[in-house]
Amino acid sequence: MQDRPTARELLDTIGDLLQGEVLDATTGPLKHQVRVAGNLCRILERELALQPDADRRAARRLAEVLESDEGDLEQLNRELVRRLRQAAPIEGGEEDGEKGEGIELERRAWPALLEIVRAKLAVNKPDHDSYDFAAETGEIDR
Amino acid sequence: MSWKDRIEKGLAEFLSQHFDEPVAVENLQPASAGARRQNLFFDALRSGGEDRVPLVATITPNPAMQVMDVEVEADTLRLAEAAGMPVAHVVASSVDKSFVGGPFFITGRVEGETIPRRVLRLVESKPGLGSRLAQQCGEALAKLHSIDASKGRAELARPAAVSPAEHAITMTEALMDALLQPSPAYALGLRWLHRHLPDAPDRTAICHGDFRNGNIIVDETGLRAALDWEVARIGDPMEDLGWLCLRMWRFRNDTLEVGGFGTAAELRKGYEAAGGRWRQEAFHWWKVLGTLRWGLGLAGQAAAHLDGSVPSIVMAASGRRVAELEYDTLMLIRRSYDDGESSA
Repeated sequence: MQDRPTARELLDTIGDLLQGEVLDATTGPLKHQVRVAGNLCRILERELALQPDADRRAARRLAEVLESDEGDLEQLNRELVRRLRQAAPIEGGEEDGEKGEGIELERRAWPALLEIVRAKLAVNKPDHDSYDFAAETGEIDR
Repeated sequence: MSWKDRIEKGLAEFLSQHFDEPVAVENLQPASAGARRQNLFFDALRSGGEDRVPLVATITPNPAMQVMDVEVEADTLRLAEAAGMPVAHVVASSVDKSFVGGPFFITGRVEGETIPRRVLRLVESKPGLGSRLAQQCGEALAKLHSIDASKGRAELARPAAVSPAEHAITMTEALMDALLQPSPAYALGLRWLHRHLPDAPDRTAICHGDFRNGNIIVDETGLRAALDWEVARIGDPMEDLGWLCLRMWRFRNDTLEVGGFGTAAELRKGYEAAGGRWRQEAFHWWKVLGTLRWGLGLAGQAAAHLDGSVPSIVMAASGRRVAELEYDTLMLIRRSYDDGESSA
């Protein structure tokens, strides 16, 4: 264990400095960079708080989608990409089921990926998922 | 001699030759500087100073950064103007680097707002302007798309032997392969794009390629000009309409699909009134494609920072925006997968 301040407390202090005095003292293109740097401090603060749980949950969800044992998150990620990128069978056609996986994999993947992406947004841009695109995607067929 | 004096002198020399009369140049000032090009405002004085003409020079100081030959861009602008699309009138173009240090073209100056937030502020101050602007965008694109694509310069990018949609998928797959970190959300999006490939358009068209809030000039009467034609290409007309409606050009006005100022229905109304054929499924497909591709572009910016080719904290931060576009992609394709349990 480290001595106080903690990593989060230090990031908070650096973020305050960047978004306060440094930003006020800066002009031109550097101002934008300072603003970005300050925001990255806030992102890292949230990451330290949220990421461990989010990663555990993501690994569990991906394992469900892949119908496999839980394992390394990066491995699971790669495996899902590999399976999604295999050609999907042409539905109803002669080749149906011959090559790649059907729509079931996509249907399992979609809600899990949405949950995982939302957890990333909670760190990187917490308000981004407040818009739900409902008006531009039409009614959902049940 | 200062940089400003040098450019003024170079422009004056060029314009004197071009008009075959002495032309003086004054009031040179940078309007905006992108990563690749500079836009400079200046006044040209003709007829011994009696005639003051406000102009804009677009210069590519480093030809290695040039995306499109200036002559090709200038000719594309001329075609668009002849078809009735609002654009700045092209005065001249030159690949001769001796005048201003790089290839350049000169257009008339169109007054109005170009910065997205200022465009939205203007729209909010004038009731009805947003709706009118969305319709005008539709009309403008319909006029551009009405041009016989065979009149476009041969140098314009175009899909080879496949439909524009298939061509776009191939290009997107190449970007996916280059990702530092595989994205299952984008892989699912790509799979959706394969499954829902739209019917090919009746005919391909000259597309602007980056027509959006940020690349248009707007005043209190509405659309004045479409800017930045360097990624114009031959493609599916719905490509331009889908791109215009991406969430990242709405600048937080998420419910107004067209640039944060108008609805897709208003855009469609203008497009159809000017003779365009709206294909709803293709429109949606190109929105998904554009969203996914923008996300891959952000991942590419982070990669360019990490491999040291473009070290920049802004590029690094782009990597942390990838999830925004993953979310947008998943939500745009939700109709195919959402059983209702996971709705927000």
